[in-house]
Amino acid sequence: MSSPPDIQITSARRSIMERLSIVWLIPVTTLLIALGVAWQSYSDRGPLIQISFESASGIKAGETVLRYRDVNVGIVEEVGFSPLLQEVYVSVRLDKTIAPFVDDDAEFWVVRPVVTAQGVSGLGTVLSGVFIEGLWDKTPSGLVTNHVGLANAPLLKVGETGLQVVMRAQGSAVLSEGTPILFKGIKVGQLGRPRLGGNGAEAVADAIIYAPHDQLISSSTRFWDISGFSFKIGSGGAELGFSSLASLISGGITFENILSGGERISDGAQFDIYPDEAAARASIFSDSSGPTLELAVVFDENVSGLSAGSFVEYTGVRIGEVTSLRGIYDEAQFGDSRVRLLVSMEIRPERLGLAEGTTPAAALAFITDRVAEGLRARLATSSILTGGLKVELVQVDDAPPAAVVVPAEGMPILPSTANNIQDVAATAQGVLQRLNDLPIEELLGSAIVFLDNASELVASSDVQSVPGEIVGLIADARGVIGSDDVQKLPANLNALLAELQGTTGDLRRILDQIEQADTVSRLLAAIDAASTASKDVGEAFTGVPELMDQLSALTRTASALPLEKLVTDITAIVNTANDLLASEGAKALPEVLASALAEVDAVLAELRAGGVVENANRTFASTADAADAVAAATEDLPALVARIEALIDQASTTLADFSGSSEINRDVRSALREIQAAASAVTSLSRALERRPNSLILGR
Amino acid sequence: MQLVDMELTRSAGNVITAREAGLVACRRCTRVWPMGTAKCARCGSKLHPRAPKSLQRVWALWVAGLMFYIPANLYPMLQTRTLFEAKESTIVGGAIELAQSGAIGIAIVILAASVLIPVGKFMAIAFLALSVRRRGLLTPGQRHALYEIVEYVGRWSMVDVFVVAILSSLVQLSVVASINPGPASLTFAISVVFTMLSAQSLDSRLIWDEIEHLKD
Repeated sequence: MSSPPDIQITSARRSIMERLSIVWLIPVTTLLIALGVAWQSYSDRGPLIQISFESASGIKAGETVLRYRDVNVGIVEEVGFSPLLQEVYVSVRLDKTIAPFVDDDAEFWVVRPVVTAQGVSGLGTVLSGVFIEGLWDKTPSGLVTNHVGLANAPLLKVGETGLQVVMRAQGSAVLSEGTPILFKGIKVGQLGRPRLGGNGAEAVADAIIYAPHDQLISSSTRFWDISGFSFKIGSGGAELGFSSLASLISGGITFENILSGGERISDGAQFDIYPDEAAARASIFSDSSGPTLELAVVFDENVSGLSAGSFVEYTGVRIGEVTSLRGIYDEAQFGDSRVRLLVSMEIRPERLGLAEGTTPAAALAFITDRVAEGLRARLATSSILTGGLKVELVQVDDAPPAAVVVPAEGMPILPSTANNIQDVAATAQGVLQRLNDLPIEELLGSAIVFLDNASELVASSDVQSVPGEIVGLIADARGVIGSDDVQKLPANLNALLAELQGTTGDLRRILDQIEQADTVSRLLAAIDAASTASKDVGEAFTGVPELMDQLSALTRTASALPLEKLVTDITAIVNTANDLLASEGAKALPEVLASALAEVDAVLAELRAGGVVENANRTFASTADAADAVAAATEDLPALVARIEALIDQASTTLADFSGSSEINRDVRSALREIQAAASAVTSLSRALERRPNSLILGR
Repeated sequence: MQLVDMELTRSAGNVITAREAGLVACRRCTRVWPMGTAKCARCGSKLHPRAPKSLQRVWALWVAGLMFYIPANLYPMLQTRTLFEAKESTIVGGAIELAQSGAIGIAIVILAASVLIPVGKFMAIAFLALSVRRRGLLTPGQRHALYEIVEYVGRWSMVDVFVVAILSSLVQLSVVASINPGPASLTFAISVVFTMLSAQSLDSRLIWDEIEHLKD
């Protein structure tokens, strides 16, 4: 009862250590530990980076992790939106140690389970949920806090190197993500996700060729599609081809260095994927990688047969191809509500003959100039069998003025002109129609009537009597030939020839005399004496050739006796008769023929009475006289020769270098040759007459 | 309770404490000894008319309990991992989820055991510790009753921890589903332990000292 105040006093004096309970250590220790943990976790905390994605599908704050080489290096702390909700921002708390490596080159993408024909990837994320994968190089270049996430995983994975190129699909080649790029059956790369490139006219995809296979790629490499299978029926039979079962399902692309010696290429180069190997191989000769000019044409007619890939030709040269076609409807522009055909084309400037490296703008300027001169586009038949069309640029001389229209956006539009389409079906039909229209039945009717008339004519008695009359005519002709006068002709000719032979013998004698007189040696002596004398000799001798000429002319006259004319006349008459037979009307023919034969008879009778043969005989006789005259004339020659001898005597040695072939000799010999010719002509004439006496009448 | 209240209010004037009566009770075996006895002859424990530094211990343990209670609410209590999903839920979050999915009864039980009781206990202990020094709204009898309630109910806070412990040991189906205790379960358990110790540290005799002051 009394002690409490004492206790209170003593307790107040106790030191602070005694007054404080030891239990306070517990909360203090707890606090220290808490503070320590807080400080440590704060100091260990890495920086926060922001990655923007299109969508945050599967990403959860506090759960989704950031991985690098499959090691967690961060965790998503927050998922939010950009100020105007365009993008999703994902805030990721990075590990402190990894932070310096996350520099500008860092790439982020969301790994999700993907099931494709090539296989399954990201299967782990089915159970664990998606995660963000990061990729950065091995050089720490300082932290960058804002990044743009990739929509798809990059082709080049962590730790891989290779060549990144861009593939363009050509024709029917199909790009699909993950399609393997095979070389000799080995996978050396793959395609990324395809996208529409340029103006939407083509599909492009990034592709990767992994090292060290990237050494295989050069500027002469061509890629082609080996997916699916091909089936061809040709002259060589049917052919079914596919590369492998895997490529049948999943597709595939292979390549080959078509030419040797291509240049090495760098990242980002563009390649085309051709539908098949043949196209790829052909492309090396036809294709060029230069820039292309894109043009459009509006055709009034909507004709089937044109398709993407159809050729564009200019003066017969393929300068490009059609890239796409579609209908166009613009009432304001064309004035009516028809749907027109809008064709987009791709032109290669260097095919136009422009210098290599010509820009599309320069090529457009060139085409604009040509359009001002009348260049127009039109559709033309490419193949008559298939009805395929092509676009043809042609020069139209009287074209209405037009120009290339360059719209604010889109391709320049080339003016068009009337199409030149040959429809094989229509043409064939036309031919058949014309055949159909021929008056064949009328023709047959006329022919039957004609044949009836002809047989009636042949059956008439007049026509039947013609052969008999002809036989009579021939008998008459034989009578003429067989007459005595005609038979005597050869004998007369023989006499003539005998006389001619005599003449020739005389001539030969004269020549002998000339030679015996040692003319030559004397001439040689005489030439030395006087040169003028030799001229006299020449003048004196001129008489001899003239004589010979006269003889020749005489002989020729004999040859050219009017016998031939007679024969020709007869022939002409016979011909006239023939003509008559041939030309007169069918009904009148027998009568005319009969009268003509009568005339021929009369002519022949006249011939016989007119003494033609006697005249001929007389002519031959006078020829014989003429020959006698010649012989007489030659008898004067010895005197002449004597005079020549005298002249030669006077001549001195000036003619010494005259050889045996002096002019005189030559003249004499030529004269003799002509005589011989005349004689042989006569001989041949007589021989001919002997052999075929009737040739005189027939003229042959 | 009503009987006690009635008795307390009725006998407020003539109640005397053991110390006034010159006695000291052993806190372990409840044997009463004359004042001044230093050691219980029956069980051997030290005898104090009032536990020394009782309030300091109360406050120290109370602070420690409160410090552990903060992470117990911030960190997940349960980590549920099923085939396609991993889920972590805090105490309040879990209760809200349960309520949303229709299990309002269970949600109320969890909220009562894990939030209402611990928070109420913190407040009650703080109130009792403060009211020892100055005159409060409640009579010593009411405060003692409160103390009894706190002591009795406090252990039920461990319900949540037990649930977590049982689930964690039962649901371990490898990949398909597994439940693991979160960090909050540990801190919550520690927090409950500290509050129970704190409540025990309060020497309930201090509540009645007020009567002596009134008499003085």
